[in-house]
Amino acid sequence: MRVDLGYVPLTDAAPVLAAAELDFARDEGIELVLHPEPSWATLRDRLALGYLDAAHMLAPLALATRLGLSGPQADLVAPMALNLNGNAITLSLPLWEAMAPEADNLDAVASAFGRLALARAREGRPLSIATVHPFSCHSYQLRIFAERGGIDLERTVRIVVVPPPQTVDALSRGEIDGFCVGAPWNSIAVAAGLGRIAALGCEIVPDCPEKVLAVHAGQAEALAPLVHAVTRAGIWCGDPANVGELAGLLSEKSGLGRETDLIRRSLTGHLVVDAAGTRRTDPDYLRLGADVQAPRPEHALWLARQMAASGQVSDAGQTAGAARVFYRPILHKA
Amino acid sequence: MTETSLTVAVIDPSRVRAAILEEGLRAAGIGTVVVVADGPDLQARVAALEPDVVVVHLESPSRDILEQMSGISRQVERPVAMFVDRSDSTMMQAAVDAGISAYVVDGLKTERIKSILDIAILRFNAFARLQRELLEAKSELADRKVIDRAKGILMGRKGLSEDEAYKLLRKQAMNEKRKIIDIARAIVTAADLLG
Repeated sequence: MRVDLGYVPLTDAAPVLAAAELDFARDEGIELVLHPEPSWATLRDRLALGYLDAAHMLAPLALATRLGLSGPQADLVAPMALNLNGNAITLSLPLWEAMAPEADNLDAVASAFGRLALARAREGRPLSIATVHPFSCHSYQLRIFAERGGIDLERTVRIVVVPPPQTVDALSRGEIDGFCVGAPWNSIAVAAGLGRIAALGCEIVPDCPEKVLAVHAGQAEALAPLVHAVTRAGIWCGDPANVGELAGLLSEKSGLGRETDLIRRSLTGHLVVDAAGTRRTDPDYLRLGADVQAPRPEHALWLARQMAASGQVSDAGQTAGAARVFYRPILHKA
Repeated sequence: MTETSLTVAVIDPSRVRAAILEEGLRAAGIGTVVVVADGPDLQARVAALEPDVVVVHLESPSRDILEQMSGISRQVERPVAMFVDRSDSTMMQAAVDAGISAYVVDGLKTERIKSILDIAILRFNAFARLQRELLEAKSELADRKVIDRAKGILMGRKGLSEDEAYKLLRKQAMNEKRKIIDIARAIVTAADLLG
Protein backbone atom coordinates (compact mmCIF):
# COMPACT_ATOMS: atom_id res chain seq x y z
CA MET A 1 0.00 0.00 0.00
CA ARG A 2 1.33 3.39 -1.01
CA VAL A 3 0.81 6.21 1.49
CA ASP A 4 1.59 9.85 0.68
CA LEU A 5 2.44 11.76 3.84
CA GLY A 6 3.07 15.49 4.14
CA TYR A 7 5.22 17.16 6.77
CA VAL A 8 6.82 20.48 7.58
CA PRO A 9 10.58 20.24 8.23
CA LEU A 10 10.84 20.44 12.03
CA THR A 11 12.44 18.29 14.72
CA ASP A 12 9.08 16.84 15.73
CA ALA A 13 8.57 15.37 12.26
CA ALA A 14 10.99 12.72 13.61
CA PRO A 15 8.48 9.85 13.93
CA VAL A 16 7.24 10.10 10.34
CA LEU A 17 10.75 10.59 8.94
CA ALA A 18 12.03 7.60 10.92
CA ALA A 19 9.03 5.51 9.81
CA ALA A 20 9.96 6.15 6.17
CA GLU A 21 13.73 5.97 6.45
CA LEU A 22 14.22 3.11 8.91
CA ASP A 23 11.93 0.40 7.51
CA PHE A 24 9.17 0.75 10.12
CA ALA A 25 6.71 1.46 7.30
CA ARG A 26 8.08 -1.25 5.02
CA ASP A 27 7.69 -3.79 7.82
CA GLU A 28 3.97 -2.98 7.76
CA GLY A 29 3.77 -3.41 4.00
CA ILE A 30 3.62 0.34 3.36
CA GLU A 31 5.45 2.30 0.73
CA LEU A 32 5.64 5.60 2.65
CA VAL A 33 6.26 8.54 0.32
CA LEU A 34 7.17 11.74 2.18
CA HIS A 35 6.31 15.21 0.90
CA PRO A 36 7.94 18.23 2.57
CA GLU A 37 5.46 21.11 2.40
CA PRO A 38 6.33 24.83 2.25
CA SER A 39 3.60 25.97 4.67
CA TRP A 40 0.99 24.62 7.05
CA ALA A 41 -1.74 26.04 4.81
CA THR A 42 -0.52 24.10 1.78
CA LEU A 43 -0.08 20.93 3.83
CA ARG A 44 -3.65 21.33 5.12
CA ASP A 45 -5.12 21.92 1.64
CA ARG A 46 -3.30 18.98 0.09
CA LEU A 47 -4.48 16.69 2.88
CA ALA A 48 -8.04 18.03 2.88
CA LEU A 49 -8.41 17.66 -0.89
CA GLY A 50 -6.93 14.16 -0.94
CA TYR A 51 -3.52 14.84 -2.52
CA LEU A 52 -2.02 13.50 0.69
CA ASP A 53 -3.27 10.49 2.69
CA ALA A 54 -1.78 11.59 6.01
CA ALA A 55 0.17 14.43 7.55
CA HIS A 56 2.38 15.59 10.41
CA MET A 57 0.13 18.41 11.52
CA LEU A 58 -0.41 21.07 14.16
CA ALA A 59 -3.11 19.59 16.42
CA PRO A 60 -5.25 22.78 16.44
CA LEU A 61 -5.01 23.17 12.67
CA ALA A 62 -6.20 19.61 12.06
CA LEU A 63 -9.11 20.18 14.45
CA ALA A 64 -9.91 23.55 12.80
CA THR A 65 -9.99 21.81 9.40
CA ARG A 66 -12.46 19.31 10.77
CA LEU A 67 -14.58 22.16 12.12
CA GLY A 68 -14.48 23.95 8.73
CA LEU A 69 -12.67 26.95 10.26
CA SER A 70 -9.54 26.71 8.15
CA GLY A 71 -9.30 25.88 4.45
CA PRO A 72 -11.42 23.26 2.71
CA GLN A 73 -13.41 21.32 5.33
CA ALA A 74 -12.42 17.68 5.77
CA ASP A 75 -13.35 15.12 8.41
CA LEU A 76 -9.86 14.68 9.77
CA VAL A 77 -9.07 12.55 12.76
CA ALA A 78 -5.92 12.13 14.83
CA PRO A 79 -5.40 8.44 15.59
CA MET A 80 -2.19 9.29 17.44
CA ALA A 81 -0.08 12.17 18.73
CA LEU A 82 3.47 12.47 17.40
CA ASN A 83 4.92 14.46 20.31
CA LEU A 84 4.18 16.73 23.23
CA ASN A 85 5.89 20.10 23.79
CA GLY A 86 8.91 21.26 21.77
CA ASN A 87 8.18 24.99 21.47
CA ALA A 88 9.91 27.88 23.16
CA ILE A 89 9.59 31.64 23.27
CA THR A 90 12.73 33.42 22.12
CA LEU A 91 13.09 37.17 22.53
CA SER A 92 15.54 39.50 20.83
CA LEU A 93 18.62 40.39 22.89
CA PRO A 94 17.71 44.12 23.05
CA LEU A 95 14.22 43.23 24.31
CA TRP A 96 15.61 40.79 26.88
CA GLU A 97 18.07 43.40 28.16
CA ALA A 98 15.35 46.05 28.37
CA MET A 99 13.09 43.64 30.27
CA ALA A 100 15.83 42.83 32.78
CA PRO A 101 13.82 40.12 34.60
CA GLU A 102 14.68 39.71 38.29
CA ALA A 103 15.04 35.97 37.87
CA ASP A 104 14.99 33.26 35.20
CA ASN A 105 11.78 31.61 36.32
CA LEU A 106 8.59 31.80 34.26
CA ASP A 107 6.72 34.24 36.47
CA ALA A 108 9.59 36.71 36.67
CA VAL A 109 10.18 36.55 32.91
CA ALA A 110 6.48 36.83 32.05
CA SER A 111 6.01 39.79 34.41
CA ALA A 112 9.00 41.62 32.96
CA PHE A 113 7.67 40.91 29.47
CA GLY A 114 4.20 42.12 30.40
CA ARG A 115 5.52 45.39 31.88
CA LEU A 116 7.63 46.17 28.84
CA ALA A 117 4.93 45.17 26.33
CA LEU A 118 2.46 47.45 28.07
CA ALA A 119 4.92 50.36 28.13
CA ARG A 120 5.63 49.91 24.41
CA ALA A 121 1.93 49.74 23.58
CA ARG A 122 1.34 52.99 25.49
CA GLU A 123 4.15 54.64 23.52
CA GLY A 124 2.33 53.63 20.36
CA ARG A 125 5.02 51.24 19.19
CA PRO A 126 3.81 47.81 20.30
CA LEU A 127 6.10 44.81 20.32
CA SER A 128 5.85 42.45 17.33
CA ILE A 129 5.80 38.80 18.30
CA ALA A 130 5.63 35.95 15.79
CA THR A 131 3.73 32.70 15.85
CA VAL A 132 3.62 30.00 13.14
CA HIS A 133 -0.10 29.85 12.31
CA PRO A 134 -3.29 31.21 13.88
CA PHE A 135 -4.38 27.62 14.66
CA SER A 136 -1.31 26.52 16.58
CA CYS A 137 -0.41 25.80 20.18
CA HIS A 138 2.33 28.39 19.67
CA SER A 139 -0.38 31.07 19.50
CA TYR A 140 -2.06 29.69 22.61
CA GLN A 141 1.22 29.44 24.53
CA LEU A 142 2.01 33.07 23.69
CA ARG A 143 -1.39 34.16 24.97
CA ILE A 144 -1.01 32.17 28.20
CA PHE A 145 2.53 33.53 28.69
CA ALA A 146 1.20 37.07 28.26
CA GLU A 147 -1.60 36.38 30.75
CA ARG A 148 0.99 35.18 33.27
CA GLY A 149 2.61 38.57 32.73
CA GLY A 150 -0.67 40.33 33.38
CA ILE A 151 -1.49 41.49 29.85
CA ASP A 152 -4.02 40.74 27.11
CA LEU A 153 -1.78 39.62 24.27
CA GLU A 154 -3.84 40.66 21.26
CA ARG A 155 -4.59 44.09 22.65
CA THR A 156 -1.02 44.81 23.70
CA VAL A 157 1.24 43.13 21.19
CA ARG A 158 1.23 42.95 17.39
CA ILE A 159 0.96 39.26 16.54
CA VAL A 160 2.37 38.25 13.17
CA VAL A 161 2.96 34.93 11.48
CA VAL A 162 6.49 34.19 10.34
CA PRO A 163 7.37 30.81 8.78
CA PRO A 164 9.89 29.12 11.14
CA PRO A 165 12.82 29.17 8.66
CA GLN A 166 12.41 32.97 8.41
CA THR A 167 12.18 33.69 12.15
CA VAL A 168 15.92 34.11 12.71
CA ASP A 169 16.25 36.52 9.77
CA ALA A 170 13.22 38.50 10.87
CA LEU A 171 14.75 38.82 14.35
CA SER A 172 18.08 39.98 12.94
CA ARG A 173 16.39 42.66 10.83
CA GLY A 174 14.43 43.88 13.83
CA GLU A 175 11.06 43.17 12.19
CA ILE A 176 10.00 41.11 15.17
CA ASP A 177 10.95 41.31 18.83
CA GLY A 178 10.47 37.65 19.52
CA PHE A 179 8.72 34.48 18.49
CA CYS A 180 7.27 31.20 19.64
CA VAL A 181 8.37 28.36 17.35
CA GLY A 182 9.30 24.71 17.55
CA ALA A 183 12.73 23.12 17.68
CA PRO A 184 15.34 23.73 16.47
CA TRP A 185 14.68 27.36 15.50
CA ASN A 186 15.02 28.74 19.04
CA SER A 187 18.44 27.15 19.39
CA ILE A 188 19.44 28.47 15.95
CA ALA A 189 18.54 32.03 17.01
CA VAL A 190 20.61 31.64 20.18
CA ALA A 191 23.55 30.18 18.27
CA ALA A 192 23.37 33.11 15.83
CA GLY A 193 23.75 35.49 18.79
CA LEU A 194 20.37 37.11 18.11
CA GLY A 195 18.02 35.82 20.76
CA ARG A 196 17.51 34.64 24.32
CA ILE A 197 15.28 31.64 24.99
CA ALA A 198 12.94 33.28 27.50
CA ALA A 199 10.51 30.48 28.27
CA LEU A 200 9.99 26.86 27.31
CA GLY A 201 6.63 25.76 26.01
CA CYS A 202 6.58 22.90 28.51
CA GLU A 203 6.76 25.29 31.48
CA ILE A 204 3.93 27.46 30.09
CA VAL A 205 1.70 24.43 29.40
CA PRO A 206 3.04 21.12 30.77
CA ASP A 207 2.50 18.21 28.37
CA CYS A 208 1.10 20.51 25.72
CA PRO A 209 -0.37 18.78 22.65
CA GLU A 210 1.68 19.65 19.58
CA LYS A 211 1.78 17.61 16.34
CA VAL A 212 -0.58 14.79 15.53
CA LEU A 213 -0.77 12.27 12.74
CA ALA A 214 -3.82 13.47 10.80
CA VAL A 215 -5.80 11.28 8.38
CA HIS A 216 -9.29 11.30 6.86
CA ALA A 217 -11.86 9.63 9.11
CA GLY A 218 -13.01 7.44 6.24
CA GLN A 219 -9.49 6.10 5.70
CA ALA A 220 -8.52 5.69 9.34
CA GLU A 221 -9.25 1.96 9.49
CA ALA A 222 -7.39 1.27 6.25
CA LEU A 223 -4.42 3.27 7.50
CA ALA A 224 -4.07 1.29 10.72
CA PRO A 225 -0.76 -0.19 9.45
CA LEU A 226 0.56 3.37 9.03
CA VAL A 227 -0.44 4.25 12.59
CA HIS A 228 1.32 1.10 13.76
CA ALA A 229 4.48 1.94 11.81
CA VAL A 230 4.61 5.55 13.04
CA THR A 231 3.92 4.35 16.61
CA ARG A 232 6.91 2.01 16.46
CA ALA A 233 9.05 4.70 14.82
CA GLY A 234 8.03 7.20 17.52
CA ILE A 235 9.06 4.78 20.25
CA TRP A 236 12.42 4.35 18.53
CA CYS A 237 12.77 8.16 18.37
CA GLY A 238 12.03 8.46 22.08
CA ASP A 239 14.78 6.01 23.07
CA PRO A 240 17.77 8.04 24.35
CA ALA A 241 20.08 5.39 22.86
CA ASN A 242 19.03 6.50 19.37
CA VAL A 243 19.48 10.26 19.76
CA GLY A 244 22.72 10.41 17.79
CA GLU A 245 21.37 8.45 14.84
CA LEU A 246 18.08 10.37 14.91
CA ALA A 247 19.81 13.78 14.96
CA GLY A 248 21.84 12.72 11.93
CA LEU A 249 18.75 11.46 10.13
CA LEU A 250 16.86 14.70 10.86
CA SER A 251 19.62 17.01 9.73
CA GLU A 252 19.98 15.01 6.52
CA LYS A 253 16.34 14.38 5.67
CA SER A 254 14.37 17.20 7.21
CA GLY A 255 15.79 20.06 5.20
CA LEU A 256 17.24 21.47 8.42
CA GLY A 257 20.75 21.58 7.02
CA ARG A 258 23.76 20.66 9.05
CA GLU A 259 22.49 21.75 12.44
CA THR A 260 22.99 18.22 13.85
CA ASP A 261 24.29 19.47 17.18
CA LEU A 262 21.39 21.90 17.66
CA ILE A 263 18.91 19.17 16.75
CA ARG A 264 20.55 16.85 19.25
CA ARG A 265 20.23 19.53 21.93
CA SER A 266 16.54 19.97 21.25
CA LEU A 267 15.99 16.19 21.32
CA THR A 268 17.72 15.77 24.68
CA GLY A 269 16.45 18.98 26.29
CA HIS A 270 19.98 20.24 26.95
CA LEU A 271 19.54 23.77 25.72
CA VAL A 272 21.81 26.76 25.54
CA VAL A 273 19.57 29.75 26.22
CA ASP A 274 21.79 32.77 25.60
CA ALA A 275 24.89 34.00 23.84
CA ALA A 276 26.94 33.61 27.04
CA GLY A 277 26.34 29.86 26.88
CA THR A 278 23.97 29.59 29.85
CA ARG A 279 22.69 26.04 29.92
CA ARG A 280 19.28 24.83 30.82
CA THR A 281 18.14 21.22 30.94
CA ASP A 282 14.55 20.10 30.83
CA PRO A 283 13.89 16.48 29.89
CA ASP A 284 10.31 17.44 28.97
CA TYR A 285 11.36 20.12 26.48
CA LEU A 286 10.35 17.90 23.54
CA ARG A 287 8.67 14.62 24.39
CA LEU A 288 8.64 11.70 21.96
CA GLY A 289 7.99 8.01 22.59
CA ALA A 290 5.33 5.59 23.78
CA ASP A 291 4.05 7.78 26.64
CA VAL A 292 2.98 10.65 24.40
CA GLN A 293 1.30 8.86 21.51
CA ALA A 294 -2.15 8.00 22.81
CA PRO A 295 -4.70 10.73 22.03
CA ARG A 296 -5.80 12.15 25.38
CA PRO A 297 -9.37 13.32 26.01
CA GLU A 298 -8.05 16.15 28.19
CA HIS A 299 -6.10 17.45 25.21
CA ALA A 300 -9.27 17.60 23.14
CA LEU A 301 -10.88 19.62 25.90
CA TRP A 302 -7.84 21.88 26.25
CA LEU A 303 -7.74 22.62 22.51
CA ALA A 304 -11.43 23.52 22.49
CA ARG A 305 -10.92 25.86 25.45
CA GLN A 306 -7.94 27.55 23.79
CA MET A 307 -9.84 28.07 20.56
CA ALA A 308 -12.65 29.69 22.51
CA ALA A 309 -10.26 31.81 24.59
CA SER A 310 -8.61 33.03 21.38
CA GLY A 311 -11.94 33.98 19.84
CA GLN A 312 -11.62 31.35 17.12
CA VAL A 313 -14.85 29.59 18.13
CA SER A 314 -17.78 30.92 20.08
CA ASP A 315 -18.92 27.75 21.78
CA ALA A 316 -16.25 25.85 23.71
CA GLY A 317 -18.67 23.09 24.71
CA GLN A 318 -19.69 22.28 21.14
CA THR A 319 -16.05 22.43 20.03
CA ALA A 320 -15.07 20.06 22.82
CA GLY A 321 -17.59 17.54 21.51
CA ALA A 322 -16.06 17.71 18.03
CA ALA A 323 -12.56 17.55 19.50
CA ARG A 324 -13.36 14.31 21.31
CA VAL A 325 -14.39 12.72 18.00
CA PHE A 326 -11.32 14.22 16.33
CA TYR A 327 -8.96 12.46 18.73
CA ARG A 328 -9.74 8.91 17.77
CA PRO A 329 -7.81 6.60 20.06
CA ILE A 330 -9.57 3.39 18.98
CA LEU A 331 -6.80 2.56 16.56
CA HIS A 332 -4.02 3.17 18.97
CA LYS A 333 -2.26 0.14 20.34
CA ALA A 334 0.20 1.10 23.03
CA MET B 1 -15.30 41.21 -18.55
CA THR B 2 -14.21 44.48 -17.01
CA GLU B 3 -13.25 44.46 -13.37
CA THR B 4 -11.53 47.80 -13.26
CA SER B 5 -12.52 48.36 -9.66
CA LEU B 6 -10.68 45.28 -8.39
CA THR B 7 -7.19 45.12 -6.92
CA VAL B 8 -5.46 41.75 -7.17
CA ALA B 9 -2.18 40.90 -5.40
CA VAL B 10 -0.08 38.06 -6.80
CA ILE B 11 2.41 36.19 -4.59
CA ASP B 12 4.58 33.57 -6.23
CA PRO B 13 8.13 32.39 -5.52
CA SER B 14 8.61 32.19 -9.31
CA ARG B 15 8.96 35.70 -10.73
CA VAL B 16 8.39 34.55 -14.28
CA ARG B 17 5.18 32.75 -13.41
CA ALA B 18 3.99 35.78 -11.42
CA ALA B 19 4.67 38.04 -14.41
CA ILE B 20 2.72 35.74 -16.72
CA LEU B 21 -0.29 35.85 -14.39
CA GLU B 22 0.03 39.59 -13.92
CA GLU B 23 -0.10 40.10 -17.67
CA GLY B 24 -3.10 37.76 -18.00
CA LEU B 25 -5.08 39.55 -15.32
CA ARG B 26 -4.29 42.95 -16.83
CA ALA B 27 -5.38 41.72 -20.25
CA ALA B 28 -8.68 40.61 -18.71
CA GLY B 29 -9.29 44.12 -17.52
CA ILE B 30 -8.50 43.85 -13.81
CA GLY B 31 -7.96 47.39 -12.62
CA THR B 32 -4.88 46.98 -10.45
CA VAL B 33 -2.56 43.97 -10.40
CA VAL B 34 0.46 44.02 -8.09
CA VAL B 35 3.08 41.29 -7.75
CA VAL B 36 4.21 41.08 -4.13
CA ALA B 37 7.52 39.37 -3.38
CA ASP B 38 7.77 36.76 -0.63
CA GLY B 39 9.86 37.79 2.31
CA PRO B 40 10.11 40.29 5.14
CA ASP B 41 7.10 42.26 6.24
CA LEU B 42 4.78 40.66 3.71
CA GLN B 43 1.75 41.18 5.92
CA ALA B 44 2.28 44.95 6.06
CA ARG B 45 2.97 45.17 2.32
CA VAL B 46 -0.17 43.22 1.43
CA ALA B 47 -2.28 45.15 3.95
CA ALA B 48 -1.08 48.46 2.47
CA LEU B 49 -2.34 47.39 -0.97
CA GLU B 50 -5.83 46.68 0.35
CA PRO B 51 -6.34 43.98 -2.29
CA ASP B 52 -9.73 42.45 -3.00
CA VAL B 53 -8.14 39.17 -3.96
CA VAL B 54 -4.72 37.67 -3.23
CA VAL B 55 -3.69 34.89 -5.59
CA VAL B 56 -0.86 32.92 -4.02
CA HIS B 57 1.05 29.94 -5.34
CA LEU B 58 0.88 26.84 -3.16
CA GLU B 59 4.68 26.71 -3.04
CA SER B 60 4.92 30.14 -1.43
CA PRO B 61 6.10 29.93 2.20
CA SER B 62 4.03 33.06 2.85
CA ARG B 63 0.67 31.33 2.85
CA ASP B 64 0.55 31.02 6.64
CA ILE B 65 1.12 34.78 6.89
CA LEU B 66 -2.03 35.37 4.82
CA GLU B 67 -3.98 33.08 7.11
CA GLN B 68 -3.08 35.38 10.00
CA MET B 69 -4.80 38.17 8.08
CA SER B 70 -8.09 36.32 8.15
CA GLY B 71 -11.03 37.19 10.34
CA ILE B 72 -9.83 34.96 13.16
CA SER B 73 -7.41 37.64 14.25
CA ARG B 74 -8.97 40.62 15.98
CA GLN B 75 -6.26 42.98 14.84
CA VAL B 76 -6.92 42.80 11.13
CA GLU B 77 -9.10 45.60 9.86
CA ARG B 78 -9.82 44.21 6.41
CA PRO B 79 -9.99 40.47 6.91
CA VAL B 80 -9.34 38.08 4.05
CA ALA B 81 -10.46 34.49 3.95
CA MET B 82 -9.20 31.60 1.93
CA PHE B 83 -11.51 31.17 -1.03
CA VAL B 84 -13.12 27.75 -0.81
CA ASP B 85 -16.10 27.08 -3.03
CA ARG B 86 -17.58 23.85 -1.71
CA SER B 87 -20.22 23.84 -4.45
CA ASP B 88 -17.57 23.57 -7.15
CA SER B 89 -15.10 20.86 -6.25
CA THR B 90 -13.92 20.54 -9.88
CA MET B 91 -12.66 24.11 -9.87
CA MET B 92 -11.09 23.66 -6.44
CA GLN B 93 -9.27 20.58 -7.74
CA ALA B 94 -8.19 22.41 -10.90
CA ALA B 95 -6.85 25.28 -8.80
CA VAL B 96 -4.80 22.99 -6.57
CA ASP B 97 -3.55 21.03 -9.60
CA ALA B 98 -2.33 24.31 -11.06
CA GLY B 99 -0.78 25.31 -7.71
CA ILE B 100 -3.19 28.09 -6.84
CA SER B 101 -4.79 29.31 -3.70
CA ALA B 102 -6.75 32.54 -3.29
CA TYR B 103 -7.62 34.76 -0.37
CA VAL B 104 -10.45 37.22 -0.75
CA VAL B 105 -11.89 40.06 1.29
CA ASP B 106 -15.18 39.46 3.01
CA GLY B 107 -18.20 39.98 0.85
CA LEU B 108 -16.68 39.67 -2.61
CA LYS B 109 -19.04 37.78 -4.92
CA THR B 110 -18.11 34.24 -5.89
CA GLU B 111 -18.50 34.86 -9.65
CA ARG B 112 -16.01 37.71 -9.61
CA ILE B 113 -13.42 35.54 -7.90
CA LYS B 114 -14.05 32.62 -10.25
CA SER B 115 -13.12 34.61 -13.33
CA ILE B 116 -9.82 35.56 -11.68
CA LEU B 117 -9.15 31.97 -10.66
CA ASP B 118 -9.97 30.76 -14.18
CA ILE B 119 -7.33 33.08 -15.60
CA ALA B 120 -4.81 31.99 -12.97
CA ILE B 121 -5.45 28.30 -13.68
CA LEU B 122 -5.03 28.80 -17.45
CA ARG B 123 -1.88 30.88 -17.08
CA PHE B 124 -0.22 28.63 -14.51
CA ASN B 125 -0.99 25.52 -16.53
CA ALA B 126 0.42 27.18 -19.65
CA PHE B 127 3.55 28.04 -17.69
CA ALA B 128 3.91 24.44 -16.48
CA ARG B 129 3.50 23.20 -20.07
CA LEU B 130 6.16 25.62 -21.32
CA GLN B 131 8.53 24.48 -18.61
CA ARG B 132 7.95 20.86 -19.54
CA GLU B 133 8.62 21.61 -23.20
CA LEU B 134 11.77 23.49 -22.31
CA LEU B 135 12.96 20.52 -20.27
CA GLU B 136 12.22 18.17 -23.18
CA ALA B 137 14.03 20.46 -25.60
CA LYS B 138 17.05 20.51 -23.29
CA SER B 139 17.18 16.75 -23.01
CA GLU B 140 16.78 16.41 -26.80
CA LEU B 141 19.76 18.68 -27.25
CA ALA B 142 21.77 16.62 -24.77
CA ASP B 143 20.79 13.42 -26.63
CA ARG B 144 21.97 14.88 -29.93
CA LYS B 145 25.36 15.65 -28.42
CA VAL B 146 25.77 12.05 -27.24
CA ILE B 147 24.80 10.71 -30.68
CA ASP B 148 27.31 13.09 -32.31
CA ARG B 149 30.06 11.81 -30.01
CA ALA B 150 29.14 8.19 -30.75
CA LYS B 151 29.24 8.91 -34.48
CA GLY B 152 32.65 10.52 -34.05
CA ILE B 153 33.97 7.47 -32.20
CA LEU B 154 32.69 5.11 -34.93
CA MET B 155 34.15 7.32 -37.66
CA GLY B 156 37.56 7.36 -35.97
CA ARG B 157 37.72 3.67 -35.08
CA LYS B 158 36.14 2.16 -38.18
CA GLY B 159 37.02 4.75 -40.81
CA LEU B 160 33.37 5.45 -41.63
CA SER B 161 31.76 8.55 -43.04
CA GLU B 162 29.34 10.43 -40.80
CA ASP B 163 26.39 9.07 -42.73
CA GLU B 164 27.68 5.48 -42.50
CA ALA B 165 28.30 5.90 -38.77
CA TYR B 166 24.72 7.03 -38.22
CA LYS B 167 23.35 4.17 -40.34
CA LEU B 168 25.38 1.71 -38.26
CA LEU B 169 23.94 3.16 -35.06
CA ARG B 170 20.43 2.92 -36.46
CA LYS B 171 20.91 -0.64 -37.66
CA GLN B 172 22.26 -1.73 -34.28
CA ALA B 173 19.33 -0.06 -32.53
CA MET B 174 16.86 -1.85 -34.78
CA ASN B 175 18.58 -5.21 -34.25
CA GLU B 176 18.55 -4.81 -30.47
CA LYS B 177 15.08 -3.19 -30.42
CA ARG B 178 16.50 -0.23 -28.52
CA LYS B 179 16.64 3.51 -29.09
CA ILE B 180 19.52 5.08 -31.02
CA ILE B 181 20.35 7.22 -27.99
CA ASP B 182 20.78 4.06 -25.87
CA ILE B 183 23.23 2.54 -28.36
CA ALA B 184 25.07 5.86 -28.60
CA ARG B 185 25.37 6.06 -24.81
CA ALA B 186 26.72 2.51 -24.65
CA ILE B 187 29.36 3.37 -27.26
CA VAL B 188 30.39 6.57 -25.50
CA THR B 189 30.58 4.80 -22.12
CA ALA B 190 32.59 1.93 -23.56
CA ALA B 191 34.96 4.35 -25.31
CA ASP B 192 35.43 6.30 -22.07
CA LEU B 193 36.18 3.10 -20.15
CA LEU B 194 38.52 1.57 -22.73
CA GLY B 195 40.24 4.86 -23.46
